[in-house]
Amino acid sequence: MEGDGSDPEPPDAGEDSKSENGENAPIYCICRKPDINCFMIGCDNCNEWFHGDCIRITEKMAKAIREWYCRECREKDPKLEIRYRHKKSRERDGNERDGSEPRDEGGGRKRPVPDPDLQRRAGSGTGVGAMLARGSASPHKSSPQPLVATPSQHHQQQQQIKRSARMCGECEACRRTEDCGHCDFCRDMKKFGGPNKIRQKCRLRQCQLRARESYKYFPSSLSPVTPSESLPRPRRPLPTQQQPQPSQKLGRIREDEGAVASSAVKEPPEATATPEPLSDEDLPLDPDLYQDFCAGAFDDHGLPWMSDTEESPFLDPALRKRAVKVKHVKRREKKSEKKKEERYKRHRQKQKHKDKWKHPERADAKDPASLPQCLGPGCVRPAQPNSKYCSDDCGMKLAANRIYEILPQRIQQWQQSPCIAEEHGKKLLERIRREQQSARTRLQEMERRFHELEAIILRAKQQAVREDEESNEGDSDDTDLQIFCVSCGHPINPRVALRHMERCYAKYESQTSFGSMYPTRIEGATRLFCDVYNPQSKTYCKRLQVLCPEHSRDPKVPADEVCGCPLVRDVFELTGDFCRLPKRQCNRHYCWEKLRRAEVDLERVRVWYKLDELFEQERNVRTAMTNRAGLLALMLHQTIQHDPLTTDLRSSADR
Amino acid sequence: MATKESGDARAQLALSSSASQSKEVPENPNYALRCTLVGHTEAVSSVKFSPNGEWLASSSADRLIIIWGAYDGKYEKTLYGHNLEISDVAWSSDSSRLVSASDDKTLKLWDVRSGKCLKTLKGHSNYVFCCNFNPPSNLIISGSFDETVKIWEVKTGKCLKTLSAHSDPVSAVHFNCSGSLIVSGSYDGLCRIWDAASGQCLKTLVDDDNPPVSFVRFSPNGKYILTATLDNTLKLWDYSRGRCLKTYTGHKNEKYCIFANFSVTGGKWIVSGSEDNLVYIWNLQTKEIVQKLQGHTDVVISAVCHPTENLIASAALENDKTIKLWITC
Repeated sequence: MEGDGSDPEPPDAGEDSKSENGENAPIYCICRKPDINCFMIGCDNCNEWFHGDCIRITEKMAKAIREWYCRECREKDPKLEIRYRHKKSRERDGNERDGSEPRDEGGGRKRPVPDPDLQRRAGSGTGVGAMLARGSASPHKSSPQPLVATPSQHHQQQQQIKRSARMCGECEACRRTEDCGHCDFCRDMKKFGGPNKIRQKCRLRQCQLRARESYKYFPSSLSPVTPSESLPRPRRPLPTQQQPQPSQKLGRIREDEGAVASSAVKEPPEATATPEPLSDEDLPLDPDLYQDFCAGAFDDHGLPWMSDTEESPFLDPALRKRAVKVKHVKRREKKSEKKKEERYKRHRQKQKHKDKWKHPERADAKDPASLPQCLGPGCVRPAQPNSKYCSDDCGMKLAANRIYEILPQRIQQWQQSPCIAEEHGKKLLERIRREQQSARTRLQEMERRFHELEAIILRAKQQAVREDEESNEGDSDDTDLQIFCVSCGHPINPRVALRHMERCYAKYESQTSFGSMYPTRIEGATRLFCDVYNPQSKTYCKRLQVLCPEHSRDPKVPADEVCGCPLVRDVFELTGDFCRLPKRQCNRHYCWEKLRRAEVDLERVRVWYKLDELFEQERNVRTAMTNRAGLLALMLHQTIQHDPLTTDLRSSADR
Repeated sequence: MATKESGDARAQLALSSSASQSKEVPENPNYALRCTLVGHTEAVSSVKFSPNGEWLASSSADRLIIIWGAYDGKYEKTLYGHNLEISDVAWSSDSSRLVSASDDKTLKLWDVRSGKCLKTLKGHSNYVFCCNFNPPSNLIISGSFDETVKIWEVKTGKCLKTLSAHSDPVSAVHFNCSGSLIVSGSYDGLCRIWDAASGQCLKTLVDDDNPPVSFVRFSPNGKYILTATLDNTLKLWDYSRGRCLKTYTGHKNEKYCIFANFSVTGGKWIVSGSEDNLVYIWNLQTKEIVQKLQGHTDVVISAVCHPTENLIASAALENDKTIKLWITC
């Protein structure tokens, strides 16, 4: 009752409980004055209110008091003693009083919600004293505390239950005025002896329309996992209304749960007999009765979990009761563990989910003599537990029968209409095949060029050297210009630029590796990749063999070897002539053979890549075509055509 | 016949409907049931056509995604992998990938051709409810019951941004046609528009009352937003001005997050499922109900339109478990 120190109305005041501070104002305290605008403390015995000033008790002192009795009562009854709080709880209370409203979760954009408890308590008009009396009579630990009042507040409150972002004001939960004291949220409240860490409204008072999903459902009594987490539901509905026909959903329950299902079906109609609305008088104080009551109460409101088959075993009241008792005990211990393992929640959730699944099975194990009959054809023996059949044979026979019966018509259904995906597949295959053809022709072309090139090179080598051939370069060139090498950055003479840069590039390139894990295995290809194995990185070098600077060194050029590069006029036209300079001296056609070979090889590699890609595509299409309309596919799915004439839904049949 | 009009034709929401009749637009769509696709063992939660029009993907509470041929309704393959119910599925723009959002708090990225799960996107702390690709399909956006919207990178599977978007479960997220804006709707009644690059909230659409928003979507031209709220209403907003332009009612929608779509292949319609087991089709301009498709035996949770043909696919919940294909005659 800590935070509810708003209602100061003592019922024993003798006057109308809701009168203003006017003529007929109720009077209090030893001073017998109607003044209520200062700090007051209430006696827990006679329920009279006393001004703090008059009896010399400050608000601060009152914080430390748990039970207070006025002097008169103490004198009359020696047993009454002022009880003080434990030091720790005092501090906590001090912190609490500032934020005693139930904290609303959410992002920073959420508007703050006024405390609905304050308003509702006043609205219902039940006196504080009455609540104190009930509180002390209750079997659990919540001890009545002196209410430190801000009396002026109650004047502003209305009869009507206020609506807010989290309260519709109209549902059962909103109409409740008292906390149940048994749910996890209540038990966390200060007034019920809790540590005040969760700080939410009583579960039974969470608005059915507007409250957060995870706060609504009746808590811990059913399972440690908050039920909304275990809700398997597509496109989750907002549980604003009652779930119609819960019995319908039970049709999907496995046969194993036959016993549970039948009792579950019986339960909902029973539950509707419990009276609505829940007023304070209806609150049973006996915890056992209370569990049942709450269980029943929730059937009324038709929470979404109820309609779900996984939860249906829990509908059995006997089961649930059992479950409740066990879990109440467990929950307290588990709670501290949970907080430590917040980070590893995923594993725990999975585990809990598994446990939840195990429950129906465990329940059945306890359920004797209700094993259903085996489903095998013509078999009257009972089924094995956790199975639909008495033996494997029966299962196989049933499966075979099923296939014989259903498969033919499914096959017929499938063949009734042409499969468009199949047609697409065939067209794709056509296309791929054509592309493969063209790729192979290109490959042949490449090979031809390759051979040609080799022939040219060979012929060129056989030419004689003519030393005094006039070199085109030389004086005509401007040797003043300095080109900077792209690799090393040094300035170089343009005449030797080509030679230098080639060498330079090779030098740097040889220091890096470029390879893959797999050696090249292509049939019919002569030299393509370098493929030298590097044991350190376990890779095969994937540079072009003719070019690889890392693994092949340029052979030493003998002095009499001729350059032999086919000369061209205007870049493209071959003159049929060859460069006769000695290779060592020729600066224009430095390593022309290497470059030409590389060019051809590159083209060949490209064609092989293309072929590979096409092969992959073909494989995909073929797999899709073979896997289509398999046995499982036909048995598990069917497509019902309503108009046998228009089975192709495309507007224009050829695409 | 399939008339392909650009979405900009709709920009003139001048209510003189004579403008639209200059093209051969049918007065009323005449959708009729063609195929029923049976195969799911639990409620179907979402169906989507692939952008190339060949496939239909359906996700369900039985933890499976089934791919069907769009033109003949034949079963193609099943994608396995999720541990709990799947709430939504979306195609990438090249129709080769799917992303699915599930109650097991993850999203999975699938390669359709091989049927394999390429990536599992982990990060949400509660059920993931909705998902979508952006038009270049390098990002995935997801909305969840943990009230956040997350943007993921497809290539790496990492969460790039988390927008603490709402204060209640996020029911729908969608990119606009250019991929620069994101719209998100939530049970808290707000519909928010975000800048995709920076993650800043650009606008919040609020009406007089704030019933939970169950679905939001950009129009194909990106200028309007269609919102569905749990008070049996669909609204078309001009979001740059923040004004509601059209309201479509007549259906029932108070509980489920039912998909709604624009139909642009034939006449301009709004298509939506409903909790009274019918598929509703409204004329976009006049807001009249032009057709109600009957055939399902449970809430029609999803109704989508084919990108090129006059084809509607609708899916229903656990009492029905089928997907129906409807076509104009």
